[in-house]
Amino acid sequence: MKKFFKNIILFLIILLIVGELVVRLTHAVSDIPQRTIDEYGIQKYKPNQKGYWKGGEHTWLINDYGWPGIAPNSLDSLISIIGDSYIENFMNPNECHQSEYLRKMLPDYNFMEFGRSGVSFIEALEISKQMDTLNPKHHLIYVNDDDFYESICEAKRMTDVTQLSLKDNKIKYGEMKGSSSKKVLYNWKLLYYFYNRFPIDYIKNNLTPKKVSPEEPSPNDNVPSNHIDAITKLMIYVTDNYNINDKTLVFHPNSNSSIITIAKNAGFNTILLDSSMDKTWTFDYDSHWTCYGHNKAAEQISQQLSF
Amino acid sequence: MLFNSIEFFLFLPLVFILYWLIGAKNIKSQNLLIAFASYFFYGWWDWRFLFLILFSSLVDFTVGHMLKKHTKPPTRKLLLWVSICVNLGFLGFFKYYNFFVDSLVESFTFFGKTLEISTLNIILPVGISFYTFQTLSYTIDVYKNKLEPSKDLLAFMAFVSFFPQLVAGPIERATNLLPQFHVQRKFVYANAVDGLRQALWGLFKKVVIADNCAKYANLIFNNYEDYSGSTLLLGAFFFAFQIYGDFSGYSDIAIGISRLFGFELKKNFAFPYFSRDIAEFWRRWHISLSTWFRDYLYIPLGGSRGGTKMKVRNTFIIFIVSGFWHGANWTFIVWGALNALYFLPLLLMKKNRVNTNLVADGKYIPSFKELYQMLFTFFITLIAWVFFRADNVSHALSYLGNIFSSSVFNNLELFPTDVLALVLFFLIIEWFGRSGNYAIEKVDFIKRPVRWSFYMLLIILMFTFTGEQQEFIYFQF
Repeated sequence: MKKFFKNIILFLIILLIVGELVVRLTHAVSDIPQRTIDEYGIQKYKPNQKGYWKGGEHTWLINDYGWPGIAPNSLDSLISIIGDSYIENFMNPNECHQSEYLRKMLPDYNFMEFGRSGVSFIEALEISKQMDTLNPKHHLIYVNDDDFYESICEAKRMTDVTQLSLKDNKIKYGEMKGSSSKKVLYNWKLLYYFYNRFPIDYIKNNLTPKKVSPEEPSPNDNVPSNHIDAITKLMIYVTDNYNINDKTLVFHPNSNSSIITIAKNAGFNTILLDSSMDKTWTFDYDSHWTCYGHNKAAEQISQQLSF
Repeated sequence: MLFNSIEFFLFLPLVFILYWLIGAKNIKSQNLLIAFASYFFYGWWDWRFLFLILFSSLVDFTVGHMLKKHTKPPTRKLLLWVSICVNLGFLGFFKYYNFFVDSLVESFTFFGKTLEISTLNIILPVGISFYTFQTLSYTIDVYKNKLEPSKDLLAFMAFVSFFPQLVAGPIERATNLLPQFHVQRKFVYANAVDGLRQALWGLFKKVVIADNCAKYANLIFNNYEDYSGSTLLLGAFFFAFQIYGDFSGYSDIAIGISRLFGFELKKNFAFPYFSRDIAEFWRRWHISLSTWFRDYLYIPLGGSRGGTKMKVRNTFIIFIVSGFWHGANWTFIVWGALNALYFLPLLLMKKNRVNTNLVADGKYIPSFKELYQMLFTFFITLIAWVFFRADNVSHALSYLGNIFSSSVFNNLELFPTDVLALVLFFLIIEWFGRSGNYAIEKVDFIKRPVRWSFYMLLIILMFTFTGEQQEFIYFQF
């Protein structure tokens, strides 16, 4: 019996080591860059990091400024691109980023990305405020419906996301969530592989994980009236506290028309992306845009952009 | 609780440790632990049906005792019928009630009359077909004086509910399994290691082969109108490996886990897809069910002792009943009948016991003749599997109609190279391991570093290719 248990334990230890090696060598999970919170309360990345995306076919890059993608050679005529995981865009190689496409389409300008997954609309505005030292000429803020709800504490409280409390009209900066456990998880690749492969919700519910539909979400014009009220209040705060003349909101395809109207009425320039007459912009297994989707989005933006 | 679930990965080590540390003291505590763990295992799915197993156990235990006491043939026969009626009554109600009602209503409608009997919303208790046949074998064997009735109720309850094989077999004979509950089990290192290895192989068959094949088999069968004959043939191929990986995988896990607890179960699969004719296939596929029907149905019906007519009749009965055992659907009956048709020429020409040895015994590769025979047998089995998998008979016929059309020569619309490569890898291992009780049994003779590397490869493949978790198909039977 002792021999049996001894061998089982020995086998499991070797298996853990071999598993870790296999996961690392095959890049079975993506490398995750380390985050930090700057002096303005903005969550960004530690500068100059590099890592593999899942599968190892391409690498991602964090530039000198602590943001994903290649920084421009010059900051003249700078246009910032701010957004969430669509702009962070680790799933595509660096040449498929919005800045790269727009640079080619609008060669008179320099583009720089400020993307991080989970960025809300209000956080995007905070980022734009804090980058004034770079003196950008214009800001492109990529948004979808959720970015507005997630900007409001009262609509959906998320401690790791920067939000506005409508009650006291104050910004509540996002906190780093479980940073030490994340450190362990991201460094112990085998554990991270299991975490991704068999998410806790999946184990709990014993259900098969739902695949993200390859199609864009259908337009939802029936936003609850309390959400519309909250977003209207959010816009009042935004117009009072941020310069909106140098900002264009780029709405994802099929965004909610009521929200776009509110943004327009508040004075924002808006661009609504349209993928309806095109082949799919997204991955089969993920709702993020492929290189094709990014290229198409950049094409539409370059045609509609006016300052 | 599924063998391929997280809960089971927590349950098994816990029960194993308790069994050998606490339960090792005496036979009673071992049986108590097995019975308790088995009831917990089954109750995890739906505790209400524990009463069914308990009732069935009590009835058969009591009948067994009374059979010992009574010597008069009419009384003994009556007692046997009580057990048969109770067991088959439950099975008939839970599994076949709705089927009979539907069929009756449909046949009345066919003759232009209406019959109003409504079906019931019945949940089929998992594994009822398996444990019913197991307990029936006990009563029949006691009736035939082949087995002494058990005097130990706890041992008997543990025997009926033994969790490794409770819900999907192998269907154990009381003559083989029950006596093992009457002696104290001792931990034997070699048996435990061998059991673990067999369970690992079974899990590989289930999560890598069956679940990945299931993805494409389901896709193709559910959208068969969209595909050409060639892809439909591929769909049937995937289903053939899905059901084999699923069911033989379960059996391997069950046998392996039983060995961990000191029990020896009967072999249930013997590399059936390497069969050279359908008779050999049926000697190698779901052996515990085939032999059950042979011993408790075919032989009592006269077997092949009578004339040609009797042989034909008995063959059809056994295959159709076997099909019906799988499920209350005409598709299973047609599947059974089709296999009877395949089998009949061999029986009539007395060639049903030609291929009793191992194919290409002692050789690495088969002869052309053997290869042709194996491919032909596999192909006709594939055709029969279409009925087994289809939702109804007309679905199966349309599916087969498209396979047997010129579109079978079209290019494949789907060609999942990764899954096909896995099936090929699996077939190669099975082929080289076909002389063992299970494919990787002989790995034991290889040096430890190579052996462990091979186990790790299987585990890595499992984690890499784990398909969407699917229930074991045979749970529904």
